[in-house]
Order: sequence, then C-alpha cells, then structure tokens
Amino acid sequence: MSDTQWPTYEVFIQDRPERPYRNAGSVHAVDPEMAVLNARTVFVRRPACHSLWVVPAASILARTAEELEHGLPEIADENGPEETYHVFRKTNQRRGITYVDQAGEVEASSPEAALRAALEAFPERPVYVWWVFPASAITATAEDDVDSLFAPAREKTYRQQSQYRTTI
Amino acid sequence: MNEKTLDSALRQPLADRLLALADDEMLLGHRNSEWTGHAPILEEDIAIANLAQDEMGHASLWYGAHGALTGSDADQLVFFRDASGYRNSQLTALPKGDWAFTLMRQYLFDAAELCWLERLKRSQYQPIADIAAKVEREEAYHYRHSSAWIRRLGLGTEESKQRSQAALDELWVYALQLFVPLPGDAALVEAGIIPNFRRLQSVWEGRVRPYLITSGLEVPLETTAAATSRQDQLPHLAELLAEMQEVARKDPEAQW
Repeated sequence: MSDTQWPTYEVFIQDRPERPYRNAGSVHAVDPEMAVLNARTVFVRRPACHSLWVVPAASILARTAEELEHGLPEIADENGPEETYHVFRKTNQRRGITYVDQAGEVEASSPEAALRAALEAFPERPVYVWWVFPASAITATAEDDVDSLFAPAREKTYRQQSQYRTTI
Repeated sequence: MNEKTLDSALRQPLADRLLALADDEMLLGHRNSEWTGHAPILEEDIAIANLAQDEMGHASLWYGAHGALTGSDADQLVFFRDASGYRNSQLTALPKGDWAFTLMRQYLFDAAELCWLERLKRSQYQPIADIAAKVEREEAYHYRHSSAWIRRLGLGTEESKQRSQAALDELWVYALQLFVPLPGDAALVEAGIIPNFRRLQSVWEGRVRPYLITSGLEVPLETTAAATSRQDQLPHLAELLAEMQEVARKDPEAQW
C-alpha cells in the first residue's frame, strides 16, 4: 500500500544564540521550504526560537541502545568523501517536549561510519537513542528570518498565562 | 503628528481610511478562520488559524488607532455594526472558496499590503508609522507562506493549476479595488499621512505579474476594479456578519 502522506522532516530548534539545538518534533511537507514554514507554524508559536533546522527524516540514521546491542549497521561505502555529521542523542528516560539533544559533530564518509565515530567521540552513557545526519541535509533559517518568523511571537501576550482571565 | 496635533479637517478622512484598513484585516481573518478544522492538511490548519489570528491582531491595531481618534470601541465596531457601516473592500468579504481561492486571495492581498506598509512606515502620523512597522514584520511571513503556495499550486498538478487559474481569474478585479482611493484620501496624501493608493497599483502589479507567470498562471487583462466605493457591498458581507456577530448580539450586555 503506498503512503500518500507528504515526506516527514524532523525539526530542530535553537532557542537562543550559542545554545544547543533540540529536536522539537516533526512535520509533513512537500519540500524543505514548506518544511521550514510548517515547522515555524507548528512549533514556534509560543516557544522562543533563534534558529530552526529541518532535516528529511529519510536522511537521519537512528538507532536505539537496544538495536545497537545486536550490532552496528554495516558500512555500505568505505570510500566516499568525508563530511560533517551532526550527532544527537537521548540521554535520559524522562518524557520531555524534545526527544533528542545535540551532542556535537563528527567527520565521516557515511551515516554508518558517522554512528561509529559518534559512539567513540561521545563516550558518556547511558544513551538511549542515537541520531546522526549529514550537515548537508539541513535546511536552516537565516539570521534575517528572525525578525519576521520568530520575533513577533515574543511580544504576543497570548503566550502568557496571566493574560487569560478565569472565573472560579 | 498624532491624534492631538492632527488638523481637524483631516480627522474624518483619516478615521475613514483607518476603518477601511481595519475592516479588511478583520474580515480576511474571519474568512481564514473558517478553515479551522477543515484545512487539507494538519500543518496548514494550524498555519491558517495562525494567519487569521495575526490578521485579527492587525485589525485590532487599526481599530485602536481609529478609537484614539474618534473614541470608538473596537468590539462595538466589529460585532454591532451593520453591513452598511462596514468599509472593507469586496475582496475580503468573498467566501473562502476552495484552498486555491483562499491562498490566491491571500497572496494578492499580502502583496498589496506590503506595498502600502512600506510607505505607511514613513507616515507623518506617528500612530500609523508605529503600527505599520509592527504589522510589516508579520506580513513578511504571511507573504512568504502564500507566495510559496501559489508557486506550488500553479506548477503542481493539472487540477491545482486549474483551480489556481480559476481563482485568479475571479479575484483579479476584486484585488484592483484595494487601490481605489477613498473620497477623503487626497487630503491625507497631501499631508504625508498615507501614500497615493492608486499609484501603488503599478508597484503591486510589477511584483505579482511576473511571479504569477513564473508560477505557470495567466494574469487577467482587466483593468477596472469590481467596485469603486466601499459603501458598495455584496450580499456576502451580510451573510458573514450574521454568523460572526450572532453570539455577541444574542446578549449585548455580556462581559467578555
């Protein structure tokens, strides 16, 4: 049965400059530009945001700790050029609004190689879920998008609970 | 200048112009809100509700400026004025139609609004300049969203192209009314309070024509607006108000 849904993009939000990106959830979209607009719509109405990334879910290699116990994924292509991969991980069992947090970057020639490099580069445990994806898969908002996409929400009073009168 | 220093001869023309700006935003926001729960996809349901909320926010700013000038109350204006008192363009009272119609109306309006906001930011009337600066930031996002959709609908499937073309064919003459000046506008233009809306039409066409063409659509050739007076309203307005005002009118004394 074919899936008629639009492709999924994972959304990462950096709430202030210099802070790590955090996975906020996912959106369906036809292409990266619509993914950025949809992500802003769905995830950045109330929360603060300085920069937003969208990454096609298909570009993310994800493994849980249990899956890794059964072995690492095979490296298909040993000889590709190296590129930067971002590494995200879930380090606690708390159910939070975000799923994985940013660990850092590794250089690798394939997603599977990037995962191996990440396991070594970030030795702290436990890690429950690993995500790696190439930096080239990211569509990011630009510095001048802050003013039109993110700044207006900061001044909206509907974000504040104190603005809703309730009667008891 | 502000409401205290404004020349008394300009008060009524300015109030009329502010009301026109506010009414257009309010009704556009209302029509967009009709998609809530019915949009073709979840993310767009949220987006269109978001847009509607922004537009009502903008309307509220323009009604506020009107109130500072005339003592009017926004809730009274919105919920207790009859159709004969509204000063929207016919464009914004048209029913929402299909998704292509809504997005095409939004695109034509957003492109027009950016033209006048650019100039209203430099208004000699300070409250207008402040509001325009605030509204423009959000409008940039609205324009990005509606123009993205127009391109994708126009260059999408045979059906999306047909529906977008049908929408454009119907909406073009209504959009032209956005540039028909109000009777009192000339004095406001002279005082540097508003731009000449008739001259903005060519700026607007310079932007939307090429964009629509590269989106695979044909731009209508009509040059005459659907209406030349904002006192000239279609039956759609009364239908819209009957629904929008129903709850408020049921109990005019209610506290909200």
